[in-house]
Amino acid sequence: MESGTETSKHSSKAYKTTAIALGALMSSTFAVQAQDALEVWSRSGPQAAATYEAVFAAFTEKTGIPVEYLTALQFDTQLQARVAARDLPDVLIYDQSSMAAYATSGWIVPIEPETLAGYEEVSDISWDSVKMANGSTYGVPFSQHAQITFVRKDWREKLGFDVPKTHDDLIALATAFATGDPDGNGVDGDTFGMAVPGTTSRGFFAWWMFSYLAQQGASYVEGGDGKYEVTINNPAGVKAVEWLYDAFCKDPNLAQPGAMTNASATPFFAEGQAGIYQTGPYAITSFTDKIGAENLEIILAPAGSAGSTTLTERTSIYFGATSTLPDEQKALAEFLISQEGQTLGMTAPGQPVVRLPVNTNLVAADIYEDPRFITVAKQLEMSELMPSDIDFTAARLEIAETFQTLFSQCNDDIVPQLDRLAGRISEELEAVNALK
Amino acid sequence: MTDISSASQPSATSAAGGTPPAAPRRGRVRSQSRWWSAWMFLAPALLLFIYFKFVPMGEGIRMSFQDVSPFLGNSWVGWDNYTTVLTNARFHQAVWNTLVLGAGQSIGAVVIGFILALLLEGPSRTLWFVRTAVFLPVVTASAVVGEIWRIIYFPSPDGFMNKLIGLVGIDPIRYLEDTSVALYAVMTVGIWSSAPYYMVIFLAGLAGVDRSLYEAAAIDGARLRHRIINVTIPALRPAIMIVSILAAVRALRIFTDVWVLTGGGPAGSTQVWMTQIYTQGFERNNLGVASAASILLLIASVLLTVVAVYFTRNKEGA
Repeated sequence: MESGTETSKHSSKAYKTTAIALGALMSSTFAVQAQDALEVWSRSGPQAAATYEAVFAAFTEKTGIPVEYLTALQFDTQLQARVAARDLPDVLIYDQSSMAAYATSGWIVPIEPETLAGYEEVSDISWDSVKMANGSTYGVPFSQHAQITFVRKDWREKLGFDVPKTHDDLIALATAFATGDPDGNGVDGDTFGMAVPGTTSRGFFAWWMFSYLAQQGASYVEGGDGKYEVTINNPAGVKAVEWLYDAFCKDPNLAQPGAMTNASATPFFAEGQAGIYQTGPYAITSFTDKIGAENLEIILAPAGSAGSTTLTERTSIYFGATSTLPDEQKALAEFLISQEGQTLGMTAPGQPVVRLPVNTNLVAADIYEDPRFITVAKQLEMSELMPSDIDFTAARLEIAETFQTLFSQCNDDIVPQLDRLAGRISEELEAVNALK
Repeated sequence: MTDISSASQPSATSAAGGTPPAAPRRGRVRSQSRWWSAWMFLAPALLLFIYFKFVPMGEGIRMSFQDVSPFLGNSWVGWDNYTTVLTNARFHQAVWNTLVLGAGQSIGAVVIGFILALLLEGPSRTLWFVRTAVFLPVVTASAVVGEIWRIIYFPSPDGFMNKLIGLVGIDPIRYLEDTSVALYAVMTVGIWSSAPYYMVIFLAGLAGVDRSLYEAAAIDGARLRHRIINVTIPALRPAIMIVSILAAVRALRIFTDVWVLTGGGPAGSTQVWMTQIYTQGFERNNLGVASAASILLLIASVLLTVVAVYFTRNKEGA
């Protein structure tokens, strides 16, 4: 008997302990939820993350709304996990190119831009970019820029070349870098012409190629308002691709070795192995640190037959569909597009997360106190966005994979490959009901 | 505690014989309580297994029959996802690459593991050091291994490997760039990083080989080659079987090596089943198709294991 009560006492004590432990666990979970912190995600490296943190700190100070910030380099994978749990971050700050996919999957919610304070301070072209094919707006513009061309000024001058103005100049310069001795180490040909991000991850190669095609009047697709036709295999497309093919497949190969599988081409330029690199202005800070401002040149894209157009890249703010904090979401978006938020995004220590402001009252070159941003702003005026009102992800992956194949096999198979690619893009457009 | 010790040694209580009449009653109580106490001990592990393995697996099977879209609602699509996987040219290429990579890597790693074990068997202290050094790739994270090999494989003439082969007059090779070479370059990394693991299993097997067999063979005038074929290999048969199954199942699931080294490129020449699943699921957002492909991989792994086990049993029986 006695031992029995002893056991039951014992077990009831154990139950109590467990209950208390569980209770503590649950209450701590609730405590986190009860704080009403706004969960914000971005895809940023450590430097850019530091800038975001400074921006959010200023936001919290101003509004009293706490922000729980997470930078996810594997953004899509991590987001998938949250989608499966049906618990999305409150605010996502990410590439414009992902908006349509998220919107059609119901992960983000439509926004009424006119209701946001500061709506009229953001340019119309920016607001147009966050519209879906059906006319509804799913994002708030945050940052914009065009891909720009970086050149090693010291290398160029050492070999006696002028700033490249045309495609011919560009090829001549890249060839000289690839075969000569621009870094002066006494060895010819141990440097590379261009750093090329040929990776198919996220369809990155398609983004990089877009500019060189556009400069020759070629494009993957043409159209608008949700309906597109495939144009990559038309005569202009074939001609432009042949031009690129020569750069990759003729002797000398103008791209760095491993261009088709390197996860990133950035180190090749930053560490003095390649002399020309077309990428976004987010790289300016790190290139200036590594190469030195005096050796780094930012130029307008050398013109092809159709001009100096490059790819527009945009970062936008999206509202997660499961959020219970609509007012706080809005407050953050309003802060981020305000002059204060935009300026902080450019100047807070780290790496600028606002490359060029979407707020029309601001001038980037003045804020950065850096005349190079005049070129960056000028290039933006001569740039084009890839389709972002439809889910172009699958088509983009197809494009990147096809060109990776073409430029790594180098088997002169251009026209048939482009025809096959055109067929596959059509299929992918049809699948999202966007084929003209 | 007493429950377990007495359960495992039922004769101990009767041998002690302190209170003979009480013994059978206590024994009965124990045997009654045993069925649930065993489950109690298993429960933590079982719960974890159910929650982290079986529930997701069931979920995966369900998703493989659905068009997955958590926010708009999943819809049942029958066998569509499986049809997509089985008719997709990319998956066909991935199957072929997986088989080539799997076979090459398994055979290579097992053979090299075996040779390493023969070379490094013994109690000497230097051997102990060399064995540890050889084993290092196994304990290194595969992402790190991949990055190191990317440097070794750097395709310019002054890349590490190209410099080495340049010493014997071979032209530089674009290891991870050339579509006809990339798969074999990945295979080499796989062999390099998994052979030492199999070496350890073989070493354990070798320790159990009866020394007198070697001596008898030596007296009969057997050469080294004969000793390996007629003594070592038959004695190691169980180890060889285990290692082969492990290698084959591992090869089917290969992902990190490929992902870090080439991302499936160039031109899909190193695209394997797992990288296709990843691309479908996370890049193309087709979780249904990715689930169907995963289930097919599961079935293939199970079949492979069953076949291997069947053959081992037969061999043991004979």
